[in-house]
Amino acid sequence: MDEKKIVTLKIDGHEVQAERGTPIIKLASKLGIYIPTLCHNDFVEPYGSCRVCSVEMRRGKRKRLVTACNYPAQQGEEIYTDTEWVRENRRLILELLLARCPEVPVIKEMAAAYGVTDTRFEKLNSDCINCGLCVRVCSEVVGANAIGWAGRGVNREVTTPFELKPEACIGCGACAAVCPTGRIRVEPLWQTKEGEVREFTLGPTSAIYIPTYQAVPKVPVIDRNACIHFKTGGCQVCVRVCEPKAIDHNQEERLEEVEVGQVLITTGYDIFDPREMKQYGYGILDDVYSSLEMEYLFNSSGPTYGRVLMKNGQEPRSIGIIHCVGSRDVNHHPYCSRICCMYALKFAHLIKDRSTADVYQFYIDMRAFGKGYEEFFTRILDEGVNVIRGRVAEVVKAGPEKAAEGKLLIRCEDTLVHQFREIPVDMVILCSAVEPRKDADRVQRLFTLSRSPDGFFLEKHPKLDPTATPTDGVYIAGCCQGPKDIPDTVAQASSAAARILATIAKGVVEVAPIVAHIDPEVCAGCRLCLNLCPYGAIEYLESEGVSRVNEALCKGCGTCVSACPSGASTQRHFRDEQIFAEIEGILFQPR
Amino acid sequence: MKKLTVEDLSRIKKKRLEETALGEAGPYRARIIVHLGTCGLSAGAGAVLEAFEAQVAAHPQAKVHLRKCGCGGFCAREPMAQVEVFGIEPVIYTDLKPKDAKQIFEEHVLKGKVVEAKRLPKEEPFFSRQHFIVLRNRGLVDPENIEDYIAQDGYTALAKVLTSMSPEQVIAEVKASGLRGRGGGGFPTGVKWETCRHAGEERGEERFVICNADEGDPGAYMDRSVIESDPHAVIEGMIIGAYAIGAKQGYVYIRKEYPIALEKLNLALDQAREYGLLGEKILGTEFSFDIEVHRGAGAFVCGESTALMASLEGRAGIPRAKYIHTVEYGLWNKPSCLNNVETWANVPVIINKGASWFTQIGTGDVTNNPWGGSKGTKVFSLTGKVKNTGLIEVPMGITLREIIFDIGGGIPNQKKFKTVQTGGPSGGFLPESLLDLPVDFDSLTEAGSMMGSGGMIVGDEDTCMVDMAKYFINFLLEESCGKCVPCREGLRSMHAILERITHGQGKESDLDALMDLSKAMIQSSLCALGQSAPNPVLTSIKYFREEYEAHIRNHKCPAGVCPDLYEMTIIPELCTGCMVCARYCPTKAIAGEKQKPHQIDRSKCIKCNVCYSLCKFNAIKKI
Repeated sequence: MDEKKIVTLKIDGHEVQAERGTPIIKLASKLGIYIPTLCHNDFVEPYGSCRVCSVEMRRGKRKRLVTACNYPAQQGEEIYTDTEWVRENRRLILELLLARCPEVPVIKEMAAAYGVTDTRFEKLNSDCINCGLCVRVCSEVVGANAIGWAGRGVNREVTTPFELKPEACIGCGACAAVCPTGRIRVEPLWQTKEGEVREFTLGPTSAIYIPTYQAVPKVPVIDRNACIHFKTGGCQVCVRVCEPKAIDHNQEERLEEVEVGQVLITTGYDIFDPREMKQYGYGILDDVYSSLEMEYLFNSSGPTYGRVLMKNGQEPRSIGIIHCVGSRDVNHHPYCSRICCMYALKFAHLIKDRSTADVYQFYIDMRAFGKGYEEFFTRILDEGVNVIRGRVAEVVKAGPEKAAEGKLLIRCEDTLVHQFREIPVDMVILCSAVEPRKDADRVQRLFTLSRSPDGFFLEKHPKLDPTATPTDGVYIAGCCQGPKDIPDTVAQASSAAARILATIAKGVVEVAPIVAHIDPEVCAGCRLCLNLCPYGAIEYLESEGVSRVNEALCKGCGTCVSACPSGASTQRHFRDEQIFAEIEGILFQPR
Repeated sequence: MKKLTVEDLSRIKKKRLEETALGEAGPYRARIIVHLGTCGLSAGAGAVLEAFEAQVAAHPQAKVHLRKCGCGGFCAREPMAQVEVFGIEPVIYTDLKPKDAKQIFEEHVLKGKVVEAKRLPKEEPFFSRQHFIVLRNRGLVDPENIEDYIAQDGYTALAKVLTSMSPEQVIAEVKASGLRGRGGGGFPTGVKWETCRHAGEERGEERFVICNADEGDPGAYMDRSVIESDPHAVIEGMIIGAYAIGAKQGYVYIRKEYPIALEKLNLALDQAREYGLLGEKILGTEFSFDIEVHRGAGAFVCGESTALMASLEGRAGIPRAKYIHTVEYGLWNKPSCLNNVETWANVPVIINKGASWFTQIGTGDVTNNPWGGSKGTKVFSLTGKVKNTGLIEVPMGITLREIIFDIGGGIPNQKKFKTVQTGGPSGGFLPESLLDLPVDFDSLTEAGSMMGSGGMIVGDEDTCMVDMAKYFINFLLEESCGKCVPCREGLRSMHAILERITHGQGKESDLDALMDLSKAMIQSSLCALGQSAPNPVLTSIKYFREEYEAHIRNHKCPAGVCPDLYEMTIIPELCTGCMVCARYCPTKAIAGEKQKPHQIDRSKCIKCNVCYSLCKFNAIKKI
């Protein structure tokens, strides 16, 4: 067969040109002609076992039935997909299939579409039509070969080797996904399989996914631990469907070195793990969610398509939102996380917008500090959101003694009415604190930054230089500096960018002349100064056995000067003699 | 040993003929040929051979040459031996017992007196009506001795092809001969070779030749006999085919259930290699080719070409769609030419004697259309209710009547002929009215049956057509690979319906259901197994509809086969009161006094048919 030979043929009267040998079903689907089939799938080789896709082929006087899934396009042939002969044949095939699988919905539906509702033939009550899709997917796509055929003729069946639990099975579920009759089902074993657990496990995920909904750039990544290709070397279905051919399984992560003059640190923040506050039941009780998970639920392309649903799939009738989980709490973070109040109000608004549930806000102080924030607070109050001032003591499952059995009970003190309250809800949202990134100390060491007692990076000066750091050329912005909302973050980041651009526009960096200098003749190489320098400006020269000051980094604080035991380190313009001379000058009293 | 050249062949032939010649002076004075095919051996030929061997050893002065040959063909009369004494016409002895050896040896070999009681009449129609091409070396060649085959002009066709013909000329010769595939399909062999060679040359790919020896039809054993008796004929045919197609490697796919054939084939291949007829530089020419033997595991469907190739590749023997032919994309997606054992065995004769000689035998005209007729002969295994069961080779165009009544000797036990089934399990039943049908590819297909690989099963009046159809459908049901819906589900449903009918639970609508099932299977099954599977049902309904109707409407089995649908009865006028039936009845259902008509108690009768087969007066009837 010539690879590139183009042939012309007719399908249901439409003239088509195609490469010789292209399966008819492919050409028909391009024309929008539907040909029913049970054993065909674009990702596996045509098999031709169900025969439902049989169509009529005419060449000259000759005509016969051929299976569209594997009949190759040939010059001058005419294909008819829906003649009386074709329909009669399909009726007979479907009647036979109905005898084999009288209870399988897809067979019943397809048969009914051809007017076959009952069968004259002996029933078998199977739920497998032996289409072999599962076997072929497992071998051709996945490459695991975990299932295969046993027996012959009527006894032919899909099974695992020796009918044992197959070791080769990687639990990918591809067989179940292609099974037309639903005979193969995947037990939720996948949740325990390594590599299947994501940051959020609110629903089934695939090995290729977009890490977050606001990811920039918005491109998917492949989880090597879950990807079938990395387990068996097969699959690559994603490569086949990706039209721009953007998927490359051979890409490796790599370290890249970039030379820059200035660095802006915007490493962001972590969310306080509400598991630490066992009293709120996160991770123990169903339907207690963290704020980030809630955002995920609200997303219209999320697991519930934006609907607020409980784990059992029902709509909650009441929801409690608990503020200050981990913040303003001496046991965890004493500071205010600043953003929670407003997003908690946003949640309340969204819930009111999308469901009929009652909403309870449990707050300590409502901090609606920004522009228009207070107005928004008033608005949600008008929407009928209940606000209760008081820190929540605990969240528990209502026992049988309670009227609201099965619900979640939020216990708290309502400080405005000085009363202890117990509020039954279906769902609890925990507004977790904003906390420094877990690896903040590594970044700190890398750039010789300082951190405030709360763990966030310290700016050079809160009022005079709020985006710079003590290290020249290193700037900070956003939540790595402290909790803040989006407008504040944007403002700070813009300011930092402007600050950086100003130095770039200048073209040169001015270095203050008052820096320390270590006299190599005197330095003993004790390296005492190295650890004392707050700016990381001193380096030790192994070859010469002395320390040296990087004058571009030195701030002239003089710490090394006063500490140097041998007096090798001196401060330019502020040498001991000069200072003593100055002191003497000040103390001089003309008599 | 030194590899042979073309000249060596005639030298070996001369030497071997001299070595085995009979004559007053010659090395031997007499020759005893014992037939040791699977059929002969199971009838006791081994012991007969031993008895003859003892006689030959006891009389060295008699100078007797004992030749161990393959199948003699006359299965009903095995063990067989042929005795040739110098100066006396050869005589065939049949139904031999070891004790007969001494008498035959002493009387015939030593004294020259033919033992008339054991001999086959000179003009026995079983042999005289046959025409041997494929079985040409029957009785002439010891399958374990390659020189015997060379002495019968073996490998001269190969020498002719290699030295004086181009591959294209070979293909043209085979095409002109009108040889059609003997495996059942009847596809013109020359056309197949040409397409295969063309496909290989176009793509510059290697090609394969394959010999299909996966004979699985019930009651058919043509291929087994040919390989057992004359393996070199097949090997030579394959080498010629390989030369014509341009193949370097050949395969024989043979059933594991044929141990003797397998042994003889492997021995023949080893000898051929030793003589330089296989391997590098065959007969000193530039052509190289070798054959590998692959044993099948006994799946009937592996006789289907794509399933066979899948099995050869090491996969499960399951057919694929043949929209792309195996001659283009076959074994390992290379052009592959698959022919049946018998087809290959025909090739050397066609080369040696020429296409024009071959076309004189058979029907139709193939000068311009390779499908225009059926040329040459066909080997059949004639079995069932016929006197002379055996392996026969007849010219194409012979009528069924000639085969069954002349060669086969008619129906035994004065029973009436009812049907003949040709073409294996998926062939069809033909009635008495079609007995004058000429046996060739097209006539049989037209009548609803097919040539098949050569099974021919005769049924007498005691054959129930519904039961026979059910038997074959059951066979196919067990042997279907189960891949496609119409074959797997169709056969299952068909069998269920036939089962019901034979138990008297048939419905009027069943015949329509059977016809519908047949239609679905024929028009949309994946391979030939499913497409031809309804033939037994279709032909039995077509020619014996009244029998189905008797089962369904009257709940009677006219042939008295289906146990639920008949009763045993004793006809008082015919019963002599001999008491035999009563004595042997296992359930004591028959009562009666001496010389008075007996009666059967139907409540006790289990229809074991013991009385029926014992009664010498035909007094027991099934109604």
